[in-house]
Amino acid sequence: MVTQYGIKLGVHLMTNQFGNIVAKVCESLLRRGPLTLQLIVRFTELTPQQVKSSLLILIQHNCVQAFSLEQQDGLEDGPKANTQYLALFNNILHRMRFSKFLKIVSSEFDECKELLEGLLQHGRLTLKQMVEREREKSSKKDGNCEDIVQENLLKLLAARYVERCPIHEPVLATPVKDETTAKRRGAKSSKRNEESETIEQRVLGAAAPMDAQRFSIITNTGSNVSRETSVGEKRKYDALELDRESAVEEEEVVLLRANFEEFMCRLRHKACIENVRTRLDDGASIVLRAMLEAVRSLEKRVKTEKSVPLSLNTIFEEVMNSEEGRGMTLDRVRASLVQLGCSSSARGTDESYSIDLKKIVELAQNDEVESIVLKRYGRNAYKMFRLLSKTGCLVETEKISDTTFVEKKEAPKMLFKLWSDGYLHMEDFSS
Amino acid sequence: MSRLQGPSSHKRKQPEPNSASGSLTEHERILYHVIKSKQNMGIWTRDMKWETKLPDYVVVKSLKSLQAKKLIKEVVNVQNKGRKHYIAAEFEPSKEITGGTWYAGGNLDTEFINFLQKHCVKIIYEQKVATLEGILDTIRRSRAFNVEFTPQQIEEIVNALVLDNEITEVESNGMGEFDSIPVGTVCYMCTNKGGRKGEPKIGAMASIPCGVCPQISLCTPDGIISPQTCVHFTKWLDF
Repeated sequence: MVTQYGIKLGVHLMTNQFGNIVAKVCESLLRRGPLTLQLIVRFTELTPQQVKSSLLILIQHNCVQAFSLEQQDGLEDGPKANTQYLALFNNILHRMRFSKFLKIVSSEFDECKELLEGLLQHGRLTLKQMVEREREKSSKKDGNCEDIVQENLLKLLAARYVERCPIHEPVLATPVKDETTAKRRGAKSSKRNEESETIEQRVLGAAAPMDAQRFSIITNTGSNVSRETSVGEKRKYDALELDRESAVEEEEVVLLRANFEEFMCRLRHKACIENVRTRLDDGASIVLRAMLEAVRSLEKRVKTEKSVPLSLNTIFEEVMNSEEGRGMTLDRVRASLVQLGCSSSARGTDESYSIDLKKIVELAQNDEVESIVLKRYGRNAYKMFRLLSKTGCLVETEKISDTTFVEKKEAPKMLFKLWSDGYLHMEDFSS
Repeated sequence: MSRLQGPSSHKRKQPEPNSASGSLTEHERILYHVIKSKQNMGIWTRDMKWETKLPDYVVVKSLKSLQAKKLIKEVVNVQNKGRKHYIAAEFEPSKEITGGTWYAGGNLDTEFINFLQKHCVKIIYEQKVATLEGILDTIRRSRAFNVEFTPQQIEEIVNALVLDNEITEVESNGMGEFDSIPVGTVCYMCTNKGGRKGEPKIGAMASIPCGVCPQISLCTPDGIISPQTCVHFTKWLDF
């Protein structure tokens, strides 16, 4: 759910980068949810041409995804009649992180940085366009450019930093409203928001290319049959058809873009590793990094709760492979795993370990809030806040002041301040 | 009352050596009775006056006399330091009145607590990992203090250190540093302060002025309080 401030920030970003008109279109989509072209024209009071151009820009830069709902009565009015456009808020915000994404790639494959930069600047590019760009930049006239680009591209695809663009206009099966009214209860506005979240998930899920295709530039031209079966296979949402008017051309043009999900995953891992390093020690952070590296290609979602389970031997091997981990013994690795709070499943020789990443993120989040409380309200408030955070339930004022060694007169005042600023929950049992 | 008990009070004025209350006036006796009945909670002068219905000056005079006779003592009530609170001599004031072990004269003995805490941190730092018993033992043997601490008191001190993020509480797993400690025992280690000596890691939000600003809910780009006019923000951007 996007907050008011979120919308404001998104619109600000769009205005800065693409101007007022595009920002206006984006704003109406963010405020009102998915809309058809006609509705956008109506709400923004722009000309249809302006709206169309804006949408094209937004789609090009992955900030909007088009989709259509399956016609109930089976009659097909024509795709344009019910095409809707959905703003992708997360992708809009990712634009602020582009320099971080570039940094990640430049630290891993510096030679690929140019290529990624192009993709971030232009939103989406075909292989041909990438080669053109390289040619212009390097001013080399020979055919070497194509090889270089292909080589770099393959590296980025293998690391999953680049992916194929989603389908232009997936068709969603069955009207969304029936399902959600049955499932959800509650205020209308929250229902609407939850609906649109479900819509977003469904649209993105429907639009995403299949895993096998997603990170490959191999095209399956000329075999419509095979394409249909491969697409029809493992879809959660039935009745997904290929876009009729889309890229079913003689030559399938492969459009590629940066895979924000993978970058976010890397950043999340990095944050976890850093948190572990400061909270525990270097050894634990080396082990964690090794474990996350080992299963890099296996993580399905950005916000996985637990890392993929690995055996002790695999972990040890991976630790040995890393530069900093070379000097670690098996015992040390085992001790670090325990430090990390690793739960090992299955006893005996077949032990496998997985890290609770969600817990690390939670601890990091707690650290942030406690840091704010310390700086804003002082050490006493910090101690009291930590006590309540640790206990996780209501504690009497007297007990709080006793446990934290805060003067009995001071404690109620500070607690009241924290409560009035929204940091604490208070209940009064005096009768 | 004194009028009714005129003749008998005359009798009572004769001192009886074996009775502690022998030399008391009638008023003093009444007051003493009331104070004693409150046992270790004691009583405030105003409450005394209300209960005994004695006039002000009588109460004041009698209290002075009782104190001189060492039958009652004045204590500081930590909840209301301004009030005069009295308790019978034979009782020790309760925790509600004194505030507990760590209070002296109605105030938190911060100096003592800090000193004791520093000592505990030093012990834990030297031993790398320490249990509660270990800390208590070391304190006893060091003879740095002339008071005897109970395990509960040390636990309170140590818990406060955990809340202060000076030390962390961990459970022994019997391996590595914990090999001399039974599995599952609670022990304490010094926190790793981000690798830098004594510099705690500041969170990202706390390191920018807006993260800890008390006026954040009033700040808007076109308001009286705004980022453009904010002194702290300007200063922070000037690096």
